[in-house]
Parts: sequence; C-alpha cells; structure tokens
Amino acid sequence: MTELSKRIAGDGGDPVLQGSGGRSATKADLAAAGLPDGIAPTDRIALAVADPFEAVRMLAALDGRVEAILLLSRSLSPELVVELARKARCTICLSDQFSALGGDLRIVCPDDPAGSQTGPAGVSTRWLMTTSGTTGVPKIIPHTLRSLSQSVYRFPPATRPAWGLLYDPTRFAGLQVALQALIGGGRLIVTDPDAGIGEQIATLADHGCSHLSATPTLWRRVLMTPGHARLALRQVTLGGEIADQSTLDALAKAFPDARVTHIYASTEAGVGFSVTDGRTGFPEAYLQSAPGRVRMEVRDDILWLRPAETALAAGADGIEIDAAGFIRSGDRVAVADGRVTFLGRDNGAINVGGAKVHPETVEAVIKAVPGVALVRVSGKSSPVMGALVMAEIQLAEGADMEETRAAIKAACRDGLNREAMPASLRFVEDFEINASGKLVRAGT
Amino acid sequence: MTNLEEEIRRVFGDVWKLEVGTEVPELKPDTVLLETGLDSLGFAIFVSTLDEELGFDPFVLAEDAYYPQTFAEFVAFYEKYRPAA
Repeated sequence: MTELSKRIAGDGGDPVLQGSGGRSATKADLAAAGLPDGIAPTDRIALAVADPFEAVRMLAALDGRVEAILLLSRSLSPELVVELARKARCTICLSDQFSALGGDLRIVCPDDPAGSQTGPAGVSTRWLMTTSGTTGVPKIIPHTLRSLSQSVYRFPPATRPAWGLLYDPTRFAGLQVALQALIGGGRLIVTDPDAGIGEQIATLADHGCSHLSATPTLWRRVLMTPGHARLALRQVTLGGEIADQSTLDALAKAFPDARVTHIYASTEAGVGFSVTDGRTGFPEAYLQSAPGRVRMEVRDDILWLRPAETALAAGADGIEIDAAGFIRSGDRVAVADGRVTFLGRDNGAINVGGAKVHPETVEAVIKAVPGVALVRVSGKSSPVMGALVMAEIQLAEGADMEETRAAIKAACRDGLNREAMPASLRFVEDFEINASGKLVRAGT
Repeated sequence: MTNLEEEIRRVFGDVWKLEVGTEVPELKPDTVLLETGLDSLGFAIFVSTLDEELGFDPFVLAEDAYYPQTFAEFVAFYEKYRPAA
C-alpha cells in the first residue's frame, strides 16, 4: 500500500472518489490501484493524465513506488510537456492524452492491459509541482506528500465532507482539494473538465457536494449559473486570486449555510493560511502569530513566508529564500487599520482569472509589430476576471491606426495565450516618462 | 437616448465574433449568458467593452455584488445603473 493510500481516511467500504459517468472508488480500490508494467522504483514519472478521476487514481498508485512524480496540467502543450520532463529528468510519461512525444520519453497509458503491479511502496517519492504562469516554461517546485498535506484538516468522521473538484488536480490548488478530501476524512467528487459549467455544477449537486473550493473568477461564474442554488454548501473556499470584498459578500448571501473561507497559498511556499471572517485580506495580528504553522513578515511591502515543512533549498529554480527559511512570495501588500490587504504582484504580473501574465512578454510581442513606436501593457481591473490585459500603443510616424490594430491582434493571437491577449487596445499620443527616463507603469 | 438593449446586443455580437468566431447565437430574455458558449474571459471582455462603449459598468457601480444570469437580468442590471442623461 502506498503512503497516500494508507493515509486516506475511511474504512474501505464507502466511496472516497466519485466522478462523472457513475465512476467511483473506495479506499480499498485506491489501495489496490496498480501501476502499468515496466515502472521501477528508480523511475521519474511525468504524469500527464487529462482525466481528473484517473489522475487522482494514478497518484495513489505512484506514491512510494517511484522516485519522483512530475504533475503536469492537461492544459500544457506537448512541447512544454517534453521540456518540463527533460528538466525534471523524467524518462516515462504516464498519459491518456499523448500517444507520441518528442525526446526520449516513453509513453505509458494508465490502463495499460499489459499488467499491473501493486508491489511494496517503500520509496520516499518526490512530488514535483509546476507553477501556472501563462508565458514561458513553468517553474518546477519540489514537494513531498508531507509538505503538500501539512495544512490538511482532519474532519470528524461524522462530518464526511463531500469536496467538489473544479480545479485541475495536478495544480497546487486542485491537489490541495484532493488531498484535503482524501486524507482529511471526506470524499472527492470530480467533474468532467470538458463539460459546461452548468453540467459540472449538476454533477456536484447530484453527488451531494457540501464543500467547494474555487478561484474568485470561477465562483463568479458559478454565481452566474442558474443551477448553483441546488448546491447545499456548508463550506465555500476561495483561493488562487485576491478574494475581493464584493465576491465574498455575494457568496455569503448565495450560500447562507456555508462558512466562507479564503485561502492564501503559493506553490513556492506551500499553503499559507486561511481567513474566515468574511473580509478581504487578513488580520495584521497574523504577522505576529499566524494560524497553522506558517510564519509571516512584511519586508518593503512584500510578504515573506516561512512554511513549517518545505522541500526547497536556497537557490532553487528562481525562488528567493533567506537563511532563516523565509520565502519571498512576490505579493505586494498594504498594512492599514489592523488589516493586511493584497495589492498585486511586485513584478507587475497581471492575474487574469488565476493565470499570471507578465506585461513584458506581451509588450515584446506588440513591439515587434511594424507601425508600433512604443507600447505599455498593464492590468485593467475586471469585475469578472479580477483583471484583464490592456495595451496602450503609440504609433510610429505615418503608421495607419486600423492597419496596425489588425496587425497587433494577429501577432497576439499567434504569439500569446488567450489570457495574455490584450482585451483592449488604446492608441495614445504620448507616454508619461518618469525621472529615470522609463515608461511609467500603471500600478507600480 | 439610444436603446440600451440594442447596444448590448451589438457589443455582444462584436465580442462573440472576435472571441468565439462562430455564428452569433440569438439572445432571448431567458438565455443564460454563460451557457451560450462564452467563457469567463469572453464574458469579462464583453463587460469591459460595454464599459468602454457605454461609459459605465454596473458591476463596479453596484453597492451589493450582483451576478445576472439571464440576458433579461443582464439588460435590467445595465438599465438600473445607467447614468441619467
């Protein structure tokens, strides 16, 4: 039995994992989940399983039986899968979505009929998470099952919360929900990520979902879907973006029987802490004594955190960590009236519904378009997505505005993810230049 | 005074053509906007474009957070917060 399946709560008879299409698995089923033949304890596995039910089942089978699991999102391109697998020194890709990939990656299907092994699980498996930027190659953050599950709350057996999973379970936030449900004494309901939001909410309601976690953007989408009234929620959890006051208020009103919690977490630091007083930000008192075992400090308006458990070493893949073990979150905060509130990312990254967009990347694409003299990309606040990307452009002499606009749109469609494509293009006469001769960037 | 509902329909059509690209679906009063095929990002762009073209955003102006579901509710929300001409 693997470490993960050992830690799953329950007596083995009740389902702990349920999915669309009537699929379900008990603790005993997950403990018996085998690995396809040909996977050895010294292997490093890239997990690229698009079906969330199967992805969770494979995690239960892999933990303790391989040296490392690289958790890859279903949204990654084949090129990024190959690149990340190479960086993580994986030789096998366990996948239900790819039949061939470049490089030396051997592809194994999770339900390979060639046989399955359920042998001993004595390896201390590395769980390699990836960050969710929209541009460039995501960063790889090493974790262990222990560091990932440090904030799991054990519910009393009578409670048996039914957690709905609307997130990708290979991402930090989704994995937190999965581990909380499985280890914390509940069950996990996964939905079909290709189905519409109405259908996903119906699946959750049909299975008696009582606890649900989503980004503020996803929650606003739930609130705009008529079927949400069928969800009898006792717990509403928000994470992944700044939880603003109006979304917190709307959720409290829509789900009067639920506790509304917003979570601050970063893939780098592991989970941070949660806030349940219904207000945006967190109490300043957390800087002296935070809930859980995390410690926090504000240095030059940036939040630093020291998690109780971390698999990070100083100098790891672009992460700033000091001698005392504090990790620089990169989140800008303001402290006022006993409250710490989040202002955004210090590198100017724009959080579009949970996807981080770097303005410099967008600027580089637009700057390369003929007819563009200067460009400035910034975030524009959006009541739906939190923020949208906006570009201001100064035309080169003699350039035609409509031609340039069309060329910019085409270049952005070719070179950028959808979240990173400017939702609005504005043509300006002139830019404000600051004392050091740089473009003044809004919000910084 | 322009007809607000017509303006909203026109902007929806423009955003749909850019973001989805298929034939613009018919908007009936009980059409659920998020079930037309427009995702959150598309919806956000729709609201942002309306702000640019109409000059106001009821999602920002409203004191209490409100999330209209149907097209009729959406238009009524905009009517309610439309600045006096």
